[in-house]
Amino acid sequence: MSAPRTPRDELAEATPHGGLYLRRLIRSQLGLSMLALVAFGGFLGSLPLALYLLPGLHDVDVLGVPLPLVLIVLPPFPVFVAFGWLYARRAQALEQAFRELVEPRE
Amino acid sequence: MIALAAILAVTGATVGLGAYGVRFARTTSDLFVASRAVTPWWNAAAISGEYLSAASFLGIAGLQMKLGSGALWLPLGFTAGYLALLLFVAAPLRRFGAYTISDFAEARLRSPRLRTLSAAIVLLIGGFYLVPQLKGAGLTLGEVVGAPYWVGVVAVGGVVALNVALGGMRGITYVQAFQYWVKTFAIALPACLLLLHLGGLPERAAMFGRDYPRAPDGGLAVTLPGPTRATFPDAARVRAGGRELSVRAGERVLLPAGRVELPAGTAVPVADGTDAQTGVDWSAPVSAEGDASPLFVYSLLIATFLGTMGLPHILVRFYTNRDGPAARRTTVRVLGLLGLFYAFPAVYGALGRVLVPQLYLTGETDAVVLRLPEAAWPGLGGELLGALVAAGAFAAFMSTASGLLVSLAGAATHDFRRGVPRSPARRRLRFRLAALGAMVVPALLALVARGLDISVLVGWAFALAASTFCPLLLLGIWWERLTARGAAAGLVVGAGAATTAIFSGLVLEPSDRTLDALLTQPAVLSVPLAFATMALVSLSDRPARRPPDAELLALHAPEGLGLGLEEEDVDAVRA
Repeated sequence: MSAPRTPRDELAEATPHGGLYLRRLIRSQLGLSMLALVAFGGFLGSLPLALYLLPGLHDVDVLGVPLPLVLIVLPPFPVFVAFGWLYARRAQALEQAFRELVEPRE
Repeated sequence: MIALAAILAVTGATVGLGAYGVRFARTTSDLFVASRAVTPWWNAAAISGEYLSAASFLGIAGLQMKLGSGALWLPLGFTAGYLALLLFVAAPLRRFGAYTISDFAEARLRSPRLRTLSAAIVLLIGGFYLVPQLKGAGLTLGEVVGAPYWVGVVAVGGVVALNVALGGMRGITYVQAFQYWVKTFAIALPACLLLLHLGGLPERAAMFGRDYPRAPDGGLAVTLPGPTRATFPDAARVRAGGRELSVRAGERVLLPAGRVELPAGTAVPVADGTDAQTGVDWSAPVSAEGDASPLFVYSLLIATFLGTMGLPHILVRFYTNRDGPAARRTTVRVLGLLGLFYAFPAVYGALGRVLVPQLYLTGETDAVVLRLPEAAWPGLGGELLGALVAAGAFAAFMSTASGLLVSLAGAATHDFRRGVPRSPARRRLRFRLAALGAMVVPALLALVARGLDISVLVGWAFALAASTFCPLLLLGIWWERLTARGAAAGLVVGAGAATTAIFSGLVLEPSDRTLDALLTQPAVLSVPLAFATMALVSLSDRPARRPPDAELLALHAPEGLGLGLEEEDVDAVRA
């Protein structure tokens, strides 16, 4: 008797069944990326609008520099790194889950 | 002289490291993609080093000084582009095992013709991007040793072409990583020391308040290289061409070539192409209209966010990652390294506005980073710091131009002619000839493009990349129904729309500010157009034209399952 077929075999042989697994993986990764994109786009995209709608911020000084300038020069970059780091961690976890799904270890 | 020595030192170190790399460059595979054993930190520094170009080092501060703080959206977009790359491209593309965008296009859609089309666009974008680097080189050498503009263009073009032709990329990974630290040090240290030396920001009224930049105590003497039209924001009495001249507020005057003397306290006149702004207007990152209008800001953010992934010299670097997860780790580090660098250009733009206001009159605001140290700190201190920024600027052109040239030469050798020569020696020879040849056209263009701002030139390359390769990569990686015909149609429409807009903006110079902004930065229209064309043409194609699942599997299957193209397979294919 041959060993039971795992999803990995279905994927390797490109059966319709394997195709389902593949699409599920792509959808889950794409979902995560889109979520990150929306969150990030919301953050970066709202910045010009906020500064446009709140011209009064110009009168607020931070160490002698108007607040809008400070806001676009310094804080966004650490936020970018945080977004990237969180995303990379989640993407890694999704891949690990996929590995365990298609090649269950006994 | 100190500055010249510093420039020569950076150039020598670059060529030396490149020559050291030659000894490892044994096979073509080595030439194009250094061994995959480069760690994420090295890779991240190399990517950042390659990315931080003349536009970042000189252009951001120059554009900020000229147009206002709206220019500071540029570094945000330049960095955000790597987030887009991280979310959608980095890991799948690394897994796919293609070296270049043309490789990707051909393998994913099984169409050799698409490879040729992509290669043509690579040459277009790369050429666009090389021009501002060479312009920066000509400008810097002119500022530092008074050499004519063409000397810098030819010298840097020649050194980079030789270095690439002889070293290939194995040398360049470490060279680029070295260049990142040179550049960051060279922009950060002078910025911090100058702020300390000045005891904070001087003349805040002209920076952030209701005043114009004014000639300092003792007056300001400017030598104009040619007759210059300039607008005076305030009434003034000046000496120009040996005669007294009395000007009304807001008057536009043709100043003769030669010495112009502005008495102390005169609001500095601005050359055509710039509007005189008070500090309040200048320092606002967003304004109701013009170069900082919300429409312009969003279009610029879109172009840079989506354009980064389409720059030909950036993606190649991702193949030096060991696997998909390493590609992601590298990209997160790149976000941090770029952020560190981009904290500093704004210091030069702001200080330059009040300390070297004569650049408003000559129009050469791109030189602000180079001029500022000696203006802010007369004497040896300023001279040393000036030498440091000049060396950093040189590192910037050399690294970006090298990376671009590797991609251009690669595209020219591999993608246009069928049949690669069998002997490695002939293959190497072809690559080397292509590297020399690919430098010629951009160098000629740089000689005629002297009047254009570095950041504007770079903006075009981004708009073009965002309108072509960005849809190709995103749809190619994530959408299974993309077909070769759809991809080709989208590439042609995107490239056509972006180039048409840019050139008609140059030729027509529309008076309507919104239209002008759209033509200068067309991404907000051309990117959706390219996406829509690609999707609609693909959908109208017969489903049989769709490539099978094998490519999707190679893009997305995690490592360690033996499903995708694992290391041995790739090497076997390339051998």
